[in-house]
Amino acid sequence: MCGILGLFNRTGVLPQSETFVAALDRLKLRGPDDSGTWQDECAMLGHRRLAIVDLSPSGHQPMESSDRRYVIVFNGEIYNHRELRPRLNPRGEWRGTSDTETLMEAYRTWGVDCLKHLNGMFAFAIWDRAERTLFIARDRMGVKPLYYSDRNGTFGFSSRPGALNMLAGDGALEVNPEGLRVYLELGYIPAPLSFHRDIRKLPAGHYLLVNARGVRRIRYWDYRSIKPDPSMATRPEGELVEELDSLIRSAVKMRLMSDVPLGAFLSGGVDSGVVVAAMKQAGVAHPKTFTIGFTEAAYNEGPAAAKAAQYLGIDHIHETLGVNSLLDLLPAYIQEFDEPFADSSAFPTMAVARLARRHVTVALSGDGADELFGGYHYYPLIDRLAPMLAWRARTKRSAGRVFSSLPWHRTKLLAGALHCQDTVGLFHFLRSVSKDYPPLVQVDIFRSTVNSESWFSQFASAFAVDLSAAETAMRLDAGLTLPDLYLQKVDVATMAFSLEARCPMTDYRLVEWAMRLPMQFKVRDGETKYLLKKVLSKYLPAECVYRPKMGFAVPLAQWLRGPLRSWAEELIHDDTLMSRLPLDKERVRELLRQHSAADRELHPLLWSVLMLLCFVQTHGARRALPVMPAYREVA
Amino acid sequence: MMASQGVAPRVLFLLTEVFANGGIQRFNQTILDASSRLGIHCQVLSLNDSAASARPTQGNISVVGFSGNRRRFALAVAGALLRGRHDRVLIGHINFLLLAVSILTLRPFNRTPTMLIGHGIEVWSGIGLARRYALSRIARILCVSHYTRQRILEQAPALVADRLTIFPNALADTWGRVAPVQPAHPLPAHFVLSVTRLDRGDRYKGIATVIEAFSMLADDSMQYFIVGHGNDLSFLQLVAERCGVKDRVHFMRGVSDSELIALYQKCQAFVLPSGKEGFGIVFLEAMFFCAPVIAAREKGALDVVRDGETGLSVRFGDTIAIKEAIERIASDVQLREHLRASARSLVIEGGPFTFTGFTRRCAEVFEIGETIAA
Repeated sequence: MCGILGLFNRTGVLPQSETFVAALDRLKLRGPDDSGTWQDECAMLGHRRLAIVDLSPSGHQPMESSDRRYVIVFNGEIYNHRELRPRLNPRGEWRGTSDTETLMEAYRTWGVDCLKHLNGMFAFAIWDRAERTLFIARDRMGVKPLYYSDRNGTFGFSSRPGALNMLAGDGALEVNPEGLRVYLELGYIPAPLSFHRDIRKLPAGHYLLVNARGVRRIRYWDYRSIKPDPSMATRPEGELVEELDSLIRSAVKMRLMSDVPLGAFLSGGVDSGVVVAAMKQAGVAHPKTFTIGFTEAAYNEGPAAAKAAQYLGIDHIHETLGVNSLLDLLPAYIQEFDEPFADSSAFPTMAVARLARRHVTVALSGDGADELFGGYHYYPLIDRLAPMLAWRARTKRSAGRVFSSLPWHRTKLLAGALHCQDTVGLFHFLRSVSKDYPPLVQVDIFRSTVNSESWFSQFASAFAVDLSAAETAMRLDAGLTLPDLYLQKVDVATMAFSLEARCPMTDYRLVEWAMRLPMQFKVRDGETKYLLKKVLSKYLPAECVYRPKMGFAVPLAQWLRGPLRSWAEELIHDDTLMSRLPLDKERVRELLRQHSAADRELHPLLWSVLMLLCFVQTHGARRALPVMPAYREVA
Repeated sequence: MMASQGVAPRVLFLLTEVFANGGIQRFNQTILDASSRLGIHCQVLSLNDSAASARPTQGNISVVGFSGNRRRFALAVAGALLRGRHDRVLIGHINFLLLAVSILTLRPFNRTPTMLIGHGIEVWSGIGLARRYALSRIARILCVSHYTRQRILEQAPALVADRLTIFPNALADTWGRVAPVQPAHPLPAHFVLSVTRLDRGDRYKGIATVIEAFSMLADDSMQYFIVGHGNDLSFLQLVAERCGVKDRVHFMRGVSDSELIALYQKCQAFVLPSGKEGFGIVFLEAMFFCAPVIAAREKGALDVVRDGETGLSVRFGDTIAIKEAIERIASDVQLREHLRASARSLVIEGGPFTFTGFTRRCAEVFEIGETIAA
């Protein structure tokens, strides 16, 4: 894990180096071991390093190529870089052993096609001094973040938007109205949107070419159109189990590349269990694993993790906390996220990252398995609800009236789901934090922006035809929720403690294989992650495999009615703070009232609002203008 | 009752619509045109045509429109079938199958051969028990593509395969007689073209993916014309804006056939990577006017677009492949000329998708004698 920052000014006007270094320091936690800057007449590059591979000074960045034509800043790991080296330089003449040098040579040799050869997690920029072109890329599944902006003739990029803001003008945060609206609907902001005006996230699997003519954004990898392969359904199940197991072991083995201590998160669930079992298979005799347990039994996965660790015979490190002690992490949570972010599971992720960092510098995690292999409870649900979409309008209206008149929260949600037009809409409804609650942004923002469902529809327009509702939902999760919610959470939560997280399940070979895998191997008779559980069953007994999913849940609803209630009230009734955002105050207050009175379970939306207010309180915000100018990629 | 040699047969057509744009409508126009030239007396009951628009196109075609009134349509169908004055009945859409077959069962000694046109999406799924039974009661199923035939057989395996005939669409005879006219605004030097409906329910046509692919092209002088209209226009405009190509993507509606010909003739490529095309009559139009075609390797389009021969085919939704296909066609003159020539051979005399060939197929299914066929 590292932090990168860079600028390219088409007219050659660059900021003072002190300003640049100050912005680079904002990335310090991402890379505490080393830092460096480089500049020529129209470009500046900066790097903060967390040394993982090649700890010697030859791994220092920004790194120049031997002919000094190219300069690179790179965040991430290229896991197959040792296999690439003989192909790139058969005589083996290398200055060091870092994957950064390999990557630069790959670009020198293959140009933008180098991306096809890489297996890893990465966000990097290569400045071509001869062509005066910046080549910027993000990995296929979006494990590593990358933000960019193009304003007043200056193109900038960074691992964090906050650093970019520091380089632009007075550094004040200006809110992107569309980002704000989408955030309040989803609880996160999918790429290419960001919360910051004029700053965009580079979507996963894309690269940018930046030169004096403009910016061109190009997708280089796309799993969306891969069709489920019916021939896989005719193969013996055992064969598929072996194939998946072998792919996972290969993905894990590649991610063991490290010159520093390495371990893994172990929650007691299927995903981390599979990863740790694969580590053992890959020859790590006693991998260190880390778990956070809670004193409250309802949230405690500690015993399950301990049991799995015992069966696997691994070195297990466990810390037990009171759930409420997670709230100690709230300041770090707010400080480290450069955009408002409302996934409360970031707390336990931060806690386990803090624990792991005391022992290792790199930790493997099971993130990505739920989206690829059908782990979420709403996948079977969406298949059951999808036939409703074909009901006649009159039937939907009548059923909606009946459902909404019933006193239960779930029937009210069902009434809301009846308004959806297609499976993408239904998924959006199930996934959103706002559900059918009225918009919280002011009317002018609401009218001048587009709802978040349109982003989902746009993304889904390339999906293979004839997918089931659950498959559609899984692909949307893999393409939008995973990179911009879960992987961002893991990246920021681990970065806050200078720990590098690696996610073997996001290996592109596994992703492509999972896309071809027919649905009956993902969810069968209500059983989620059917095939993945079969893989884990090879290494663990059934009691460890077939247990209810807990995830990293925290008692948010209770917190907001208990220990956090007065804090929430204080924030929401702070008129000065509220006036800095274009929110409908009355609706926000009504939201708090309804949740506090336990009229409805509105904690996901309420938490999103609170995180937004905290974020603005910490980072400051100018009131957003209502109309977002049309964005053009190519000037 | 078989049409005897030298006697013009009477055929009852039960159609969804004739006088509108769209794949099924164009098929209906072509089959009526061909039937008329064969001397067939065509009585057409058209559900969605209005009474005003339903005018005869030839002397031996009478069209009655019902403006979408299902009840009146059903009564008229019942009346026509029970009177039994036709030599053939052609059901133009599977949605009319149960209606027609249930009425015909009221005439136990009925011997009127009944045929069904199997188009696209509507027959690819949803053939339940009742429809399977109804299919078993009709003489012949005319499938517009091999994929349609395969899907019907998969859903109704008890059907005798010989009763399913491949009956592809053809280029309408009228196209050869239309003179191209420049659109009101001058056309750019480089542009790609799509012609399709733009309804929300038709997102499988893949237009959003073409816009995304188009935004990735290195040549930023390239323009994209989308001819068509529908209720998804604002979504597609939004996609173009988000992809940063709002100024280079042009939505056109109300384009005349003459203007369309000029667009076909001058475009770098005709792009319609549709995931669920029943047949894709627009591919034939593009081919006739020498536009290199890019299609998806899916369903009905497979019968027309053979990769590297009569066009380039890509995986549906594969934006990278669409981009690369456009770039290949734009940069490789030899390939472009090869595709044009091979594709055009499908729709000019001797090719499988000509109007003459279509008329011959009509003569076969209606069992028209040589002396009647014009």
